[in-house]
Amino acid sequence: MAKKPKIRELLNESACDHNTTKKSTCSTPTPGATTGGCAFEGAQIALFPYADAAHIVHGPITCIGSSWETRATQTSWSGRDLTQMGFTTGVTTSDVVFGGEEKLAEAIDYVVEHYTPEAVFVYATCVTALIGDDLDLVCQQAAERHDIPCVPVHAPGFVGSKNLGSRLGGEAVLQNLIGTAEPEQTTPYDINLIGDYNVTGDMWQYTPLLQELGIRVLSTLSGDGRVKDIRCAHRAKLNVIVCAKSLISLTRKMQERYDIPHISLSFYGQRDTSAGLLAIAEALGDPDLVTRTKALIAREEAALEEKLQPYRAVFAGKKAVLNTGGNKAWSIASALQDLGIEVVATAVGKSTEDDKEKARQYLGDKGVLMTKPGQEQAKIIDDTRADLLLAGGRSLYTAIKKGIAFADVNQEKKKSYGGYAGLLNLAEDLKNALENPVFKTVARRAPWEK
Amino acid sequence: MGEVMHKTAKPLQVNPFKLSQPMGATLAFLGVDRCMPLMHGAQGCTSFTKVYFTRHFCEPIAIQTTAVTDITAILDGGDTSIVEAVKNITAKVTPALVGLCTTGLTETKGDDIRGIAKQVDFPLVYANTPDYEGGLESGWALAAKGLIEQLVAPATACDKQKVVLLPHVSLTPIEVEKIKQFIAAFGYTVYALPDLSTSLDGHLGEKQAALSSGGISVEEITGLADAGLVLSVGDSMLPCAAALQQKNPILRHHHFAHLHGLAASDAFTALLLAESGRSTPPSEIVRWRKRLQDALLDSHFSLGQTRFLLASEPDQLVGLCQALREAGGRISSAISSVDSTQLERVVADEVLVGDLEDAEQRADAIDVLISNFHAEAIAHPRHKGLLLRGFPNWEQVGNVLQNDVLYEGGCYFICTAANVATAQREH
Repeated sequence: MAKKPKIRELLNESACDHNTTKKSTCSTPTPGATTGGCAFEGAQIALFPYADAAHIVHGPITCIGSSWETRATQTSWSGRDLTQMGFTTGVTTSDVVFGGEEKLAEAIDYVVEHYTPEAVFVYATCVTALIGDDLDLVCQQAAERHDIPCVPVHAPGFVGSKNLGSRLGGEAVLQNLIGTAEPEQTTPYDINLIGDYNVTGDMWQYTPLLQELGIRVLSTLSGDGRVKDIRCAHRAKLNVIVCAKSLISLTRKMQERYDIPHISLSFYGQRDTSAGLLAIAEALGDPDLVTRTKALIAREEAALEEKLQPYRAVFAGKKAVLNTGGNKAWSIASALQDLGIEVVATAVGKSTEDDKEKARQYLGDKGVLMTKPGQEQAKIIDDTRADLLLAGGRSLYTAIKKGIAFADVNQEKKKSYGGYAGLLNLAEDLKNALENPVFKTVARRAPWEK
Repeated sequence: MGEVMHKTAKPLQVNPFKLSQPMGATLAFLGVDRCMPLMHGAQGCTSFTKVYFTRHFCEPIAIQTTAVTDITAILDGGDTSIVEAVKNITAKVTPALVGLCTTGLTETKGDDIRGIAKQVDFPLVYANTPDYEGGLESGWALAAKGLIEQLVAPATACDKQKVVLLPHVSLTPIEVEKIKQFIAAFGYTVYALPDLSTSLDGHLGEKQAALSSGGISVEEITGLADAGLVLSVGDSMLPCAAALQQKNPILRHHHFAHLHGLAASDAFTALLLAESGRSTPPSEIVRWRKRLQDALLDSHFSLGQTRFLLASEPDQLVGLCQALREAGGRISSAISSVDSTQLERVVADEVLVGDLEDAEQRADAIDVLISNFHAEAIAHPRHKGLLLRGFPNWEQVGNVLQNDVLYEGGCYFICTAANVATAQREH
């Protein structure tokens, strides 16, 4: 039990801004009025990208049966990409009655034998947490049996939100992996990338640039991650949190425990990418590195500008309304502005205080921060004569009714929009949306309508 | 016919295609007009299900959760969270019905939802659907059975022109519509329960879907017991037919294991001819049968030299195998998500309950896979043919318009399968 994370403590993260303004941070979900994933999903998002590890979900079929192979996190791991597989004990009635520990132990043995993973993560779920299966013990015994790390992840769905689950995932890594191995060598430019899961290869848009600058990614949590690397994460000089509020508990603890400072940044859009690269260089504290970084930024921005030229005419004078959540409220807004699109409104209903402040900075005084976008966006489109709505599928009809172009930003995207090169992908997709006549075609009246 | 293995020997599932009962129940409730499915469990079950079906159907999916937490899991027997959930839902929208289903969590702690349902002052139907039992088919059927038992008014008379269709979960919205039209062509008024053909058929609605937009109405369900005839398709629906017969002792029931292929379509047509007293079916049905005969002949050369592996829900599996076999397709392996009475009927060299790891282990010895989108990872690296069927298909658009059943759908299916097999050989 001593190893189990303290949830109360994680919910009161001292490094979170809102804890100075609000007493209770993550309020309990309201029955009948809750959207969003559970803690298990959060842990899954945070840890599944370790493609060299097997991820065994100890629970009934819903948890992984509905959710494996859903996230396009990419890896360069040369072995089988275990991220994109679903392993589950699929507990049945008899397991619920008699306990599922034996089955779990057999399942671990099976996976190790057939897939030779570098490590095994075992996820508790509501049912197996409720019946009290001892994951810690099963994992400890399996680790001894197979001589690989077996990490119990205590994030059953009912303990809370996705965000909390990601924290619990980070906690499992901190307790069981970080600091358990030493790197072959270290450099003064070793960093950990925390919270970029390399969805659609986002991370690879900027890691070659880091490499060119001589900045070494010692480990990641967990995009294109390796278990052997994260075990050495305590030797990094800097923790870089990429667009992920949830893992700030981890980086704060690593600062306390290993004296590793941390910075938080985004790689969406040109300005943020440049600012992010510079922030890393500055945090590493080498004036020469800063100079080289500035030169690289100038080169990359010039190259990007040239490639963006053909799009500039298409986007000139175009206005967009953005209806998405969290940090995307400002990070995508920033990218749109870099393309020369005016962002007239963005939705902040699900954003943190910090995100709202950033959104205000990016949009300026004239920009609208929508708290109820479902009700507000149609009127704002009329008032501002916006040309483009970027939102989830639910808003599609609003766009059709208004006869404006629509781009789905919540759908599982297939292309990376990260870094400098990703901005070109975004430009191409938005150009295609603006040029597509489908929204006007669909908006045609039927012959039998007045 | 080969060996049938009803149970897996493995201690786990690897790359499962089995889905859970609450997911099936949700889908059934989405086949009722203006319904709000409500899952009694932690918020994740609902969130996963919503995302899963949103991506499969390319439509917004209405669903809510009782959001059970670690605290309420211990302290609340469901009384508070369910009652509060209904209150919060109805504060925003006015559903015609709340469709409540349980999950593994709330079944493990043993919430008495039947008792709680009585406390709720709102139209509500419940189903006990732990996800550690059964699968997608049984969850769908349990919700449908709940709708029948809790809503249908008992009757003693019957309307000879009225038919109730009970379709299994794997029939697509367009298939349900085509079956309804087929029956209607014999002069009947047809009601399907559940009915996805008017809710998740991929139509552009006027509003954001806060509730299911289409499906059979609550009033129509209430009045189902006076139908002259009940037709169930898929063994999973047999308990629903029995429940409906409980509501009216003179109600007659006919069962069809599936409606794929020429023989099954003939049996279905024969029944409708006998029941309606007609000597021949309407001319378009006669025409489609001739087209299917021709399609079978045109396809047989390709199919006759093709080895298939199918992985699917049992009610769909039995039908697809039969349809392929009619034109000589060689079914090397048929893998079912769960055990079923259907497995003995599946025409394949080997029939087993399993997962996609089982499919992968057999993939080198076959030519074409028929399974859900997860099978891409098996088929593509091995350059095998692939036909996507079942849940989920997150890769292609237009799933809901895919028609494989009766004479017409049989033509499309058999030609598509033959073309996939030919393309695979010439690859």
